[in-house]
Amino acid sequence: MIEVNNIGFSYLISSQKILNGISFKIHQGEIFGFLGPSGAGKSTTQKILYKILHGYTGEIKIAKKPLHDWDKSYLEKIGVGFEFPNHYLKLTGRENLQLFGSFYNANKLKPIPELFELVGIQDAIDKKVATYSKGMKMRLNFIRAIMHEPDILFFDEPTAGLDPGNAHKIKMYIKQLKEQGKTIFITTHNMNTADELCDRVSFINEGTLQITDTPQALKSRHGKHTVSVLLKNKMQQEFPLKNLGTNPEFLSFINSQEVEKIQTMEATLEEVFLKVTGKTLN
Amino acid sequence: MQQILKISIADFWLIFRDASLKTFLFLPLLIFFVILWALPALIKAFPIVADYKKYILIVSTIQLTQMFGFIYGMMLVDEKETGVAKVYGILPVNKIGFIIGRFFMPIIITILLTFLLLLVQPFYNLASFPCLIFSILSGLLVPVYAIGVSLLSKNRIEGLVWVKVMNLIIVLPIVAFFVPKNISYFFSVFPTYWLYLGLDQMIFNQYFMINWAAGFLYLLILLTLFSLQFTKKHYE
Ligand SMILES: Nc1ncnc2c1ncn2[C@@H]1O[C@H](COP(=O)(O)OP(=O)(O)OP(=O)(O)O)[C@@H](O)[C@H]1O
Ligand SMILES: [Mg+2]
Repeated sequence: MIEVNNIGFSYLISSQKILNGISFKIHQGEIFGFLGPSGAGKSTTQKILYKILHGYTGEIKIAKKPLHDWDKSYLEKIGVGFEFPNHYLKLTGRENLQLFGSFYNANKLKPIPELFELVGIQDAIDKKVATYSKGMKMRLNFIRAIMHEPDILFFDEPTAGLDPGNAHKIKMYIKQLKEQGKTIFITTHNMNTADELCDRVSFINEGTLQITDTPQALKSRHGKHTVSVLLKNKMQQEFPLKNLGTNPEFLSFINSQEVEKIQTMEATLEEVFLKVTGKTLN
Repeated sequence: MQQILKISIADFWLIFRDASLKTFLFLPLLIFFVILWALPALIKAFPIVADYKKYILIVSTIQLTQMFGFIYGMMLVDEKETGVAKVYGILPVNKIGFIIGRFFMPIIITILLTFLLLLVQPFYNLASFPCLIFSILSGLLVPVYAIGVSLLSKNRIEGLVWVKVMNLIIVLPIVAFFVPKNISYFFSVFPTYWLYLGLDQMIFNQYFMINWAAGFLYLLILLTLFSLQFTKKHYE
């Protein structure tokens, strides 16, 4: 659905290259993520894709058609969840969606009350957005991004600044969108978000992509291939995953006492990131 | 056209929801009051004021651009500050079309008000066609003013400062009438200088078209440059 080939970009004022030969593909129905520290170029890449930034080098194709050949019908097709809440504070939530919704094809618009219910802020629908909490504003961002049934969705840091409960809800909605066949591109510097949500993730650092794979593959490739067993009497031991079921030491260990916990010793995405880029995520 | 209507309706809705913007919609009433009643009364009481009625009329007329210049300038700055501008950046509307759409109604309304004021003012007998041309120039000043303010300001506070500066720039060329000729040319860097000069000549039935053509060209160039810069920067 989205093909990005070797793009480079620099902002006019600073001649420094912000993006340096970035390439990736996002398939239809996939959640693809950029994981990287602040200033890596995540938002910049998304802004190029939703046509706010021009003057990039390289090639971008959307549904096999070069991005610059798309007219404004492209903007009907995409939805953007911005990094920070941005609404008319003096208008109510409903009025905000009415105003922006009026620019889209009316046949495709979802009913506004339904959208508010979806994210659980229906009680605030007729309140001024100025009175909303940060989490409510972010959920309003979210439903504004999806109200016109776009095929492609960009979410820039969808869980940043949200408490775990709200972050979890947003992740659930994004998964639902994937189930409806939407193509989804998220950015994050939160390894849990990347891990739970993304089918594939790219590590981005200083404007280059270091590695792209499924979170699972990244974690197991860079982790230890062992399982750690903790017994009720606090005895703990590690065993190789290979031939685990027939490993006599393992079998006698788990039979010696009641087992408290068994876990594989794969790396977290954060550890993998550090290993690959030599940098931490924050 | 439908798009323009849609944008205008949305904008007027926004204006009416904002107390400080809404107040500026009353500015024309004040200006009409000054020209139709206050100034004639003043001249009656103090005949000396009559010497200055031309300048007061010129400045009052041009002040009609303040209404939408201020309203739209502050609206654009506010949208930038709150990040709402980013949302407009991804809406399925053409960027230049959007500027035209947004400023269509305010320009038309400003033109009509200016035209009306020039026709009903009680001091001079002015032909309606030149009045209409002047009104159109005046209308063009509105987007230049508003976009200028939004390009220069990062937030509402800065916006309020630049609104004052902009108003000063618009009014300042009136000084050209009171200084020696060779100094008055200095004011030609301000677009309204050309408008004032032409209006002055029109009032006294002199040839005014050259000055207005210069003013028109000047405004058009500014508007093009500002719009290009605006479409590049505003939505980022
Ligand atoms: N408008 C701009 N003008 C100049 N430089 C910019 C602009 N926006 C971003 N940059 C620079 O580009 C680089 C990449 O920024 P970008 O916003 O893409 O990073 P990011 O990965 O999204 O970071 P974060 O996690 O903080 O959102 C940074 O060094 C930033 O300072
Ligand atoms: Mg960012």
